[in-house]
Amino acid sequence: MRNWLNHQLQASILTLSRMRDNLLSTFMIGLVIGVAMCLPSLFYLGVDSLNKFTDHMQSETEISLFLKQDTNKSTIAEIDQLLAKDPAIKQYHFVSKDFAWQQLQARSEGDGEVGNIIGQLDKNPLPDAFFIQAGSTEPTALEQLKNKLSDIPGVEQAILNSEWAKRLSTLLDLGKKIILFTAMLLAVVLLVIIGNTVRMQILTQKEEIEVSYLIGATKNFIRTPFLYAGVFYGLFGAMIAILLMGGIIQTFNLTIHELSELYSSDFSLKLFNGKLYLTVIISAVLIGWIGSYVAVNRAISSIAQDQHNS
Amino acid sequence: MSLIQFDQVTKRYPGSDEVLKKISFSIEAGEFVFVTGHSGAGKSTLLKLIAATELSTSGTVLIANQNASQIKVSAIPFLRRRFGLIFQDHKLLYDRNCFENVILPLHINGIFGQEAAKRVRAALDKVGLLHKEKAMPITLSGGEQQRLAIARAVVSRPSILIADEPTGNLDSNYAAEIMAIFDAFNQVGVTVIMATHDALGLSAQQSRVLRLNQGRLSESPSSTQGHAS
Repeated sequence: MRNWLNHQLQASILTLSRMRDNLLSTFMIGLVIGVAMCLPSLFYLGVDSLNKFTDHMQSETEISLFLKQDTNKSTIAEIDQLLAKDPAIKQYHFVSKDFAWQQLQARSEGDGEVGNIIGQLDKNPLPDAFFIQAGSTEPTALEQLKNKLSDIPGVEQAILNSEWAKRLSTLLDLGKKIILFTAMLLAVVLLVIIGNTVRMQILTQKEEIEVSYLIGATKNFIRTPFLYAGVFYGLFGAMIAILLMGGIIQTFNLTIHELSELYSSDFSLKLFNGKLYLTVIISAVLIGWIGSYVAVNRAISSIAQDQHNS
Repeated sequence: MSLIQFDQVTKRYPGSDEVLKKISFSIEAGEFVFVTGHSGAGKSTLLKLIAATELSTSGTVLIANQNASQIKVSAIPFLRRRFGLIFQDHKLLYDRNCFENVILPLHINGIFGQEAAKRVRAALDKVGLLHKEKAMPITLSGGEQQRLAIARAVVSRPSILIADEPTGNLDSNYAAEIMAIFDAFNQVGVTVIMATHDALGLSAQQSRVLRLNQGRLSESPSSTQGHAS
């Protein structure tokens, strides 16, 4: 056991010192891995944030019922009674067009441009409206309710607020699938890159492998430093990927912050996403290990073959 | 029981004639055996069969009662560790200093740290290179490089030394130096098997010569010293 640990330690020190001797090329490989891992992770972060947002939206059950412009008071009263009787409706409230108009004017007072435009309008363009909270959160039940409401005479339009969120969420699901495939393709590319890099290293270390083999080294002994090389490349690449992601998220959030203040929302990307970072690290290390394992196994058997033929 | 026993061993490389033809001999522990013959007579192949870097085409190679021709691939490294191998072209690693060259077999054997360093210095001392432990092999003379190779072969204290023309590229002064080192190891009980193409340079204490001629063996116990075989 102690021997084993010693060997692992020796091999990792050897590998690290070789990497230090070739700092530039090590950095380049790390950068390649980092960028390749960074791209799908960032997209994932973006999609995931939007997804949470739409999930939240989808759970809203509000239906906006806009009435026709020329609806008179008696029709409004009739609709009000209909709504009051409907068991599918939890609660609702009425906003008259005059009230909405006043509110809009009051809210836009501070804003010069919008205020100007509103001031120029000679007629109230807003309709009377009911805002309804449905009792059920079931999408089909909501849909039914919405259809029923839009059939009421005097109603111009019934809008289910969660509808666009649902559409967006479907789009995001598609986006997630695209990210998955991109990530898989990039993983294959990384496997090839790391495998090739380790193979080049094996070629420069060919003499050492041959000599070690002749004086009784096991395949495992020869393999270990190269496996560490693969793992370290992966680890190094993952670190660069996380640094890149952190930087990009930070700058993105600065801009998003200004934007979301305008919309009085607090939407921002989380800087620290432990699960994602862990996934990046583990998959990078795994890819590094597999890439170098394949490369080193092929190289060792070809060197062993050479020796038997010499 | 003999340490090494060849029984009707034949070796053929793909696409060539038989390099060794039905060779039988045995070597006892503590012997100093020369293998001679013209170049191409099969000396190197014979050594490779002993060191299990080659497997015989037919016949039986027994090393310390282990059948090297039927050994599992995974067991070969452990068989090889019984030997100290010395090659004509040294096979030193030129990207590391003398100390690091010699420590490699110890690491392979799972020996690290202080114990390893002590053994490396002892081995370097035996071949007279202790003062050069930090030197790079490329800065050493041909004779010194061969001595370094010997230090690497003996550092893990193998019971059998196998040397393939260790003096082949050296002038006679250096060659005598190297032979003296092998003699010294043989005196303390190490079995030495050495291939050499010039039988003239053989040491006075030789006990035995295996002469190869076109793949066939003719043994000539040229010395007065008796040996068990």
